[in-house]
Amino acid sequence: MGAIASQIESIIGTAGITAWSELPAEQRQHYEGAIAPGTLPEYMICPDSQEALAEVVAWAHRDGISLLPCGSGSKLDWGKLTEGIQVILSTERLNRLVEHATGDMVVIAEAGLPFADLQAALAPTNQFLSLDPAYPERATLGGIVATADSGALRQRYGGVRDLLIGISFVRADGQVARGGGKVVKNVAGYDLMKLMTGAYGTLGVLSQLIFRTYPLPEAGATVVAVGDGEAIAQLTQSILLSSLTPTALELLAPVTTQSLGLESSASNNFGLLVRFQSIPASVEQQSASVRKQAESVGLATTLLQDAAEADLWKRLREKWDEPAHSDAITCKMGVRPTRAIELLSALEKLEDVQPTLATLHAGSGLGYLHLPADASPSILQQIRQLCETHSGYLTIQRAPVPLKQSFDIWGIRSETLPLMQGLKQRFDSQNLLSPGRML
Amino acid sequence: MVAVQEKQDWQAVIQDMEAVIDPNNVIRRKEELLVYECDGLTSYKQRPAVVVLPRTTEEVAAAVKVCDRHNIPFVARGAGTGLSGGALPLENSVLIVTAMMKQILDVDLENQRVVVQPGVINNWVTQAVSGGGFFYAPDPSSQIICSIGGNVAENSGGVHCLKYGVTTNHVLALKIVTPDGSIVDIGGPVPEMPGYDLPGIFVGSEGTLGLATEVTLRIVKTPDVIRVLLADFTSIEAAGQSVSDIISAGIIPGGMEIMDNFSINAVEDVVSTNCYPRDATAILLVELDGLEVEVAAASEKVEAICRKNGARQIQSATDPQERLALWKGRKAAFAAVGKISPDYYVQDGVVPRSKLPEILEEIEALSQRSGYRIANVFHAGDGNLHPLILYNNAVPGELEKVEEVGGEILKLCVKKGGTISGEHGIGADKRCYMPELFNETDLETMLWVRDVFDPKRVANPDKIFPTPKTCGEAARAQAQKEFPNTERF
Repeated sequence: MGAIASQIESIIGTAGITAWSELPAEQRQHYEGAIAPGTLPEYMICPDSQEALAEVVAWAHRDGISLLPCGSGSKLDWGKLTEGIQVILSTERLNRLVEHATGDMVVIAEAGLPFADLQAALAPTNQFLSLDPAYPERATLGGIVATADSGALRQRYGGVRDLLIGISFVRADGQVARGGGKVVKNVAGYDLMKLMTGAYGTLGVLSQLIFRTYPLPEAGATVVAVGDGEAIAQLTQSILLSSLTPTALELLAPVTTQSLGLESSASNNFGLLVRFQSIPASVEQQSASVRKQAESVGLATTLLQDAAEADLWKRLREKWDEPAHSDAITCKMGVRPTRAIELLSALEKLEDVQPTLATLHAGSGLGYLHLPADASPSILQQIRQLCETHSGYLTIQRAPVPLKQSFDIWGIRSETLPLMQGLKQRFDSQNLLSPGRML
Repeated sequence: MVAVQEKQDWQAVIQDMEAVIDPNNVIRRKEELLVYECDGLTSYKQRPAVVVLPRTTEEVAAAVKVCDRHNIPFVARGAGTGLSGGALPLENSVLIVTAMMKQILDVDLENQRVVVQPGVINNWVTQAVSGGGFFYAPDPSSQIICSIGGNVAENSGGVHCLKYGVTTNHVLALKIVTPDGSIVDIGGPVPEMPGYDLPGIFVGSEGTLGLATEVTLRIVKTPDVIRVLLADFTSIEAAGQSVSDIISAGIIPGGMEIMDNFSINAVEDVVSTNCYPRDATAILLVELDGLEVEVAAASEKVEAICRKNGARQIQSATDPQERLALWKGRKAAFAAVGKISPDYYVQDGVVPRSKLPEILEEIEALSQRSGYRIANVFHAGDGNLHPLILYNNAVPGELEKVEEVGGEILKLCVKKGGTISGEHGIGADKRCYMPELFNETDLETMLWVRDVFDPKRVANPDKIFPTPKTCGEAARAQAQKEFPNTERF
C-alpha cells in the first residue's frame, strides 16, 4: 500500500493522489460499478500534465500495475467489468483548453476538459463541437472519445470519429504517441484517431484531442409527429429521400413517446422528432414542408421552438442518461435504417420484457434501449438476434454485475476478433489498461 | 522484413498463380508489364515480376496466399492514378490489380448505401445513384478514371470534401483480404459496430494492411440548388482573406478553390474558357449548395465578403451547363500547366486555412530563390495546396532540384501547423518527410497496427514509413538506394 503511494508521490507529488478508502462513499460505489467484485483499487491518481500522466503509466508498466483510465467517470459503468484494477487513473486535472484556432475552426484541448466547459468557451465565437453526448454536464472530451459517444446530431454531423482530427495518447509503456494534426484534411500516416475512438481506454490513455468545430446555427425548430408506426415509417422515409436537411431525426417507440408526454389520442403512439437548424427562413420552410408531408400520411404534428424545443431535447437526453429504474439494463443498438420501425414494433411486442425506452436515429440506424434489470440473458439474446436479422447489433452498456459476468455484452462479430485481440495484445501486451473491459 | 531470396523461382509463382486465376489474367511478358511500372507519379518506375488481375474476392485471397507461400511481397493497384507512388511495384513483387473487379454489387437508396467492388470507378457510383437523387461525395479530380479501391487506400478527398468529408467519412464496411490471405468483413451496414473501428484504421492505410475487395459506401442526397460564384481579385491575399471571412461568417460551401494568375493564364491559353480574367492575380471559386433559400442567403453574404475584400467582378451560375463552364478551367488546370511546360511536379500540402496568405508568400519567395515557376491551384476551404512546380525533365538533375523545392514546401507546411499530404497519400514519394511531422514513437505506434495486420511486412512494403536505410540521406539518394534499378524520368 504505502509503497505505491511513495512511488507515485515521487513522480507527481502529493496532490492528485487519493487512497481508495478516502474517496467519498458515493464515488467509490460509482467506480465499483466498473470493476469485477473481489478486488478493489488502492488509489485514484489524477496527474495534472501530460508528462506526469506519462510517468504514471510508465511506472505502472514497469511494476505491472493495472490501470483504469477515465475522465470524470460518468460512463465507467459501460462495457465489461474490469479485473484486478489497482489504480484509477483520471485525466480530470488535464483540463486545459490548449488552443482554439477560430478562423480554422479547430480546437485543441486536454482529454479531461469537460464537454460543457468546451462548449461554453466556443459559444462566444459562434462555434460549437457538434456532438450531443451522454451526461453533457459531467462528461469529459476524453470519455466521449473513448466511448465514441454522441446523440441525435449524428444525423447531420456524423459521429465522434468524423470530428476528431488529431490525438495524443499515452501508450501502455508510458510513451506519448500522436496521430493526425490540426488541419481538417490530412492523410499522413495511419488514422490513430479512429483506432482510439470507441476503444474504451483499452489501447492507451488519451491526453490531448483535436476536433473540428462547426458554426452555431442561427435558428432551430423541431417538428414532432406522433401516430401509427407505418405512417411514421413512411414520413421518415420521405424525409430521408427528400433534399431536406434535418440535423436530428429521431424515432421514438410508443413507450418513449408517452414518457416524454408527446402521445396523441391515437392508440399507436410512435413518434418522430425532426429537428432543423439553419437560417430562420430555411428552418421555417423545412418545418412547414415536413408538417405537410406528415398530414398527407395522417399524422398529427406540433412545432416546437425556442425554450420548448430546447426543453424537449434536454428531456430526451435525460431519459437516455437516467433510466426509469436506476438498475436498468441500457443498450446501444444498430439496425438497417429502413427496418427501424419494424424493430421498434418487435421490441414493443416482446412477451417477457417491457422496454422502458427505445429510440433510433433514423438516418444511421443507431439507437438506445432500456430494459428492466431482470431481463434474462435469453431475452437479450433474442433481442440481439432481432437486431442482427436487420444487419445490426446489440451492445449492453449498463447492467447488473451478474449479467455482465454471464453474458457477452459487446456482441462483437467473431470473425473480427482476431484482429481486435491482436491490436490489444500489441498495444498493451501486459493487459494493464482497462483489462477485460472490451475483449 | 521479407527476406527476398536471391533467386526467386518465378516460374513456380506464375504456375501457382495460373492455378488460381485465369491464366489470361496473369501477366508476365516484359512488354505487357510495362504499363504497370508506375502509377500517376511517373518519376518513379519499377517493373514488377508478375501482375495478376483477379475478378473476385476469392481470387484475390488465393493470389495473396500464393505470395505468402512463396514469401514474396505484393503491391495492390487500382486504376493507377495515384500521385504518391502508392502503387509503385517493387522489383521482386507481385502486383495485384483490382481493375477487373468492376461490379456495383448493391444499390440501396433507401438505406443510402452502395456496395461496390474496388475496381469500380469513383464517378460510376454517382452515376448509379443520381437517378434517385443521390451522389457519392468524395470527388478527386481524377474521378472519371480513379477507382474506389484506390480511394479507400489513399483516403481520397476532392473539391467537395470541405462540406461532405473525405473517403473515410463515407466508408461503412469493407471486405478485406489480409496479408496472409484471410478474408474478413469489417464494419457493417450500420456505423459504429461494436469493438475497435477497423474500417477507420484500414481506410488510408495505402495498401499496407491488405486489400479491400468489397466496399460499402454511404451516399448523400443531392442538394436542391447548387450555385457557383467566381470572384476575381488583384491580390492573392485578398482571395485568401475572403476564404477565411466566408468560413467565419458560418458558411460552409460545398467547395472553395483558388487559382493564381499563372494558372489562370495557363488555363485560358489551353482551354480558352474566356471566363477567367487574364489580368486577375487570383480567382476564387465558391460552390454553395442546399435549399434555395439557404443558397440565396449564403451567396449574398459571399458576394458581400468578396466585394469588401476588393473583388473586381463576381459571376455566378446555377444552371448546370454554366456551372460547368465556371469549373472547367479549374478542372483543367493541371492539364493546362502540363501543356505550357514540358513537365511539372505536383505537390500536396496542407496548412491551417488562416495561414494561406503567409504560405503563398513564402512559396512565391521560394520560386524566386530556386528559379522554378510555381503555379498555385488549391482547395482553399481546407487549406490544401497543390503547387505545380514547372521544370524540364530533359535537363539532367532538374527533377532532383524540383523535388527539393517540393520538399521545402512541405517543410513550410509543417512549420505552419499543417501536414505533408492532404489527399494524395505518402506512398513512395513522401515517406522521408514523415519524420518532419511525426517522431519515432508516433511512427512506431503506427507500425504496431501494421504488426497486427501484416507481421511479415509483405503488403506494399517500403511505403509510408521511413527507414534509416532509405531515408538516412537526402531524398534523392534514398530513392536511388531503395529502388536501385529504378528508371527516373
